[in-house]
Amino acid sequence: MAGVSHFLILCWFSLLVGAFFGTLTRATFREAFKVGALIALLMVGVSLIIAYVMFFLPLGG
Amino acid sequence: MSETKGGGKMALACLLAWVFPGGGHWFLGRRVKSVVFLVLVLMTFFTGLVMQGRVYLANPEQPLTYLATFANVALGPLDLIGRRVFYERIIYIFPSESDPNLYQEIMRLNRAKILAVTHEYGTTFVLAAGLMNILLILDVFDIGIGRKR
Repeated sequence: MAGVSHFLILCWFSLLVGAFFGTLTRATFREAFKVGALIALLMVGVSLIIAYVMFFLPLGG
Repeated sequence: MSETKGGGKMALACLLAWVFPGGGHWFLGRRVKSVVFLVLVLMTFFTGLVMQGRVYLANPEQPLTYLATFANVALGPLDLIGRRVFYERIIYIFPSESDPNLYQEIMRLNRAKILAVTHEYGTTFVLAAGLMNILLILDVFDIGIGRKR
């Protein structure tokens, strides 16, 4: 697993969580897909924004 | 399936949801959702195991490990697989130093897995699978009492 991309892991996790909450909170496939995709995209997007902001923070130590 | 279930049936549905991810929804007649939940929880859990994710042991010196252990145990029998894979035995409590052999063995297994680059990610996946199953049990309860259609 050493060569696996951190970004791909983030995408995979977001996909699973988005699909789960989409299915849990919506009754129809269409609505579940829309909500799931939105959650997954937001997770990836917000994570990238946080990562970008943290890039400028000192490492400390 | 919006009608209220009896107490016994509801308890059985919740128990099935704990034993088998999606089992409660299957019992309540929501077959498609049940299969989707089963696939999602299994994929999340086994992704975590493949990434060398940890299954937590309750450690009195670290109280937060009780919460993490609870999230793991929420997976039902899947948690047993995780413990067997990670610790090579079924164990829930972190051994005290008064049992040096078991303590050393658990520490050795922990150190071996922590070296994996994906260990923290894997642990997150395993915990997420357990938290998903807690939500499924609560969802089955809500459906059972008629709060959710």
